[in-house]
Amino acid sequence: MNGPLLMHEVGSLGKPAWRVKPLAGGELTPDDVADARAWGERLGVDDHEQLVELLDRGEWGEAERLELKRWSSVYALRFFESAGLDVIYDGEQQRSEMYAWTVAHATGLEPRGSVRSFDNKYYTKSAVVDRVGLREPYHDDEFSFLRSVTNTPLKVPVTGAYTVGAWSFDEHYSKGVDLSLPLAARREKSAAARREMIVDIARNVIRPNLESLIALGAEWIQLDEPAASTVPDELDLVVESFNVTVEGLDAYFSTHLCFSDYELFFPAIDGMSGCRQYAVGFANYDTRELGLSEDARCGYAIIKKFRDLDYAPALGVGVIDIHTDFVEPPELVRDRILYAAEVFGDPERVHVTPDCGLRTRSWDVAYRKLESMVAGTEMAKASLGI
Amino acid sequence: MRLEAYQHGIYPRSERLVRATRDLDRGRTNEASVQDEYRRDTDELVAIQRAAGLDYLYDGQLSWQDHFRPFVEHSDGLATGALTRWFDTNSFFRAPVVTGALSIDAPGVPVAGVGGGDRLVACLPSPYAFSRAAQVDGDRDDLMLDLARDVLRPVAARAVAAGAALLHFEDPWLAYFGPDGDVWSALGKSIEEVRAGLDVTVVFHTYFGDAAPFFDELRGLPVDAVGFDLFATDTDALRPGGDKACLLGCFDGRSSVVERPEEIVRIVSRLLDRLEPPGCFLSSSGDLQLVSEQLARRKVEALGEAAAALKEVVA
Repeated sequence: MNGPLLMHEVGSLGKPAWRVKPLAGGELTPDDVADARAWGERLGVDDHEQLVELLDRGEWGEAERLELKRWSSVYALRFFESAGLDVIYDGEQQRSEMYAWTVAHATGLEPRGSVRSFDNKYYTKSAVVDRVGLREPYHDDEFSFLRSVTNTPLKVPVTGAYTVGAWSFDEHYSKGVDLSLPLAARREKSAAARREMIVDIARNVIRPNLESLIALGAEWIQLDEPAASTVPDELDLVVESFNVTVEGLDAYFSTHLCFSDYELFFPAIDGMSGCRQYAVGFANYDTRELGLSEDARCGYAIIKKFRDLDYAPALGVGVIDIHTDFVEPPELVRDRILYAAEVFGDPERVHVTPDCGLRTRSWDVAYRKLESMVAGTEMAKASLGI
Repeated sequence: MRLEAYQHGIYPRSERLVRATRDLDRGRTNEASVQDEYRRDTDELVAIQRAAGLDYLYDGQLSWQDHFRPFVEHSDGLATGALTRWFDTNSFFRAPVVTGALSIDAPGVPVAGVGGGDRLVACLPSPYAFSRAAQVDGDRDDLMLDLARDVLRPVAARAVAAGAALLHFEDPWLAYFGPDGDVWSALGKSIEEVRAGLDVTVVFHTYFGDAAPFFDELRGLPVDAVGFDLFATDTDALRPGGDKACLLGCFDGRSSVVERPEEIVRIVSRLLDRLEPPGCFLSSSGDLQLVSEQLARRKVEALGEAAAALKEVVA
């Protein structure tokens, strides 16, 4: 599953209206159905007229809902394949949301209502109320289905233990705060409880879920840790939870780090040697100027630190900004890749990715961005004689 | 010693209002329906505060998307910037960006938006936090003074005219990061800019970090009370003295565990015995937007219970 300038996506892709509305009890419009037909034709989805017929029927029993999710997965697979990526997944079409999906399949957590993420975006935050465990493996059905409908290599995105812990309240391990204790003692107690909780999530929830995936044939698993830099003092815990999750398991493990001050991760990730690849967003911080100068490629200054890690992981270099509809010209993608290849001195260690999942973009914009990413990668390969 | 209780900061929206605002974003409802939900949430929050027996009421700032947004959206010279993590939480704010000379359309900023003859709290971002959260090329202390004079003061004056009896400055920045230099003189002048001539009690509240290392400097500010977060402050290091009241943030705005009022009474009594402040306010550590509305409601009720019991103790 390696190779120079390997191209893959990072995780999520927007869910089409024809998949979202029926599952949320909403009404489909003729435009939604036309969208399913148009993308089916554009992506060359086999038998997509069956989906259109399903949508036209508009009857949503349990079987039809499952069918709809599977169609959505097939469309997303073809979306990435048709754009020209080497390694794909289904844009998490069958999952509710990365945190909620995990919590729904774990034991020891209970919902505690909606908490704001930003603006009008809220998430249902759960509390850990007992020792956590796995209710049932939660990506098996999805993975088995995807394996059955594509021969393209798959990379399974899985929410990491630290993020699940960081996004949850703790009512079990810390049992509240004893204000009669001195602050230092409280902090020590709180840190110990936090560590126990997150390591338990790694050991008892995420790891057995990975074991199940690996038994089904998963070869590449990406642990998503968007919360990794939330608490700068806890980066050792991020690393420990990753290691507890993957140690001794036989697969290619990578991790995705979202928009942060990446300096914070060093030196902590020196100890994360089980991570074979980091997928990291950089384009968001970069200029749109062409060229390989340090100034033009200022968003990529930090990649030297990833290069110098002793265990020589690959770096999934984010070359597409997922926060904007601006479609990066292939020449800009090319220069970002060439800059990274020059810093690393080994294109085998450079993978090409968007900064993050593409779910905030429309399919049209996301597709054009990916097409540009692929075209830019081909230009970089030509320039490097690959 | 006088002891009073109030709630401050951005209060969480009900599940109903969360759905309504989400639906509005997705074009599934209209603005008028969402405004109805805002009013209903505000009315319910006022009723909860009254039932809890709080001494000051507030509107919950339910429409505020973050601590700075209403000011940014109604000011010339400020723009909305990048989504930025709100300290070490899983919530984010849009960093204000300074683009030119500052001026504000004060009536556009919803503060102290409840009436009925109650004593009202108006919550504002502290000029220090505002100036440090903003993206600016120039000197941050100069910006702090500009924000105080040109942005916060007009809003504070309007809030007081509308019935606010207490002005509460929210400042997580100082305690979390520590002061980034000798900021005290500029901060004092900034607070003076906001409050000058206003007949209002002013509370400067720190949270998310330990305020003990600069408690004396805080007590030197031109305010009536200094607040700190009991969950993050080394209270053993606080020294008695000074003429300032204190605000004790004794309900954890970051935890789903609802504190037992009797436990809070025990802790606060002991602290007041030692610090002997001339007055005391009780509230949550930080604002309650980091827990759900169901939990926030229980915390406000517990705050009322603890305050009632403590009033008997201090009497």
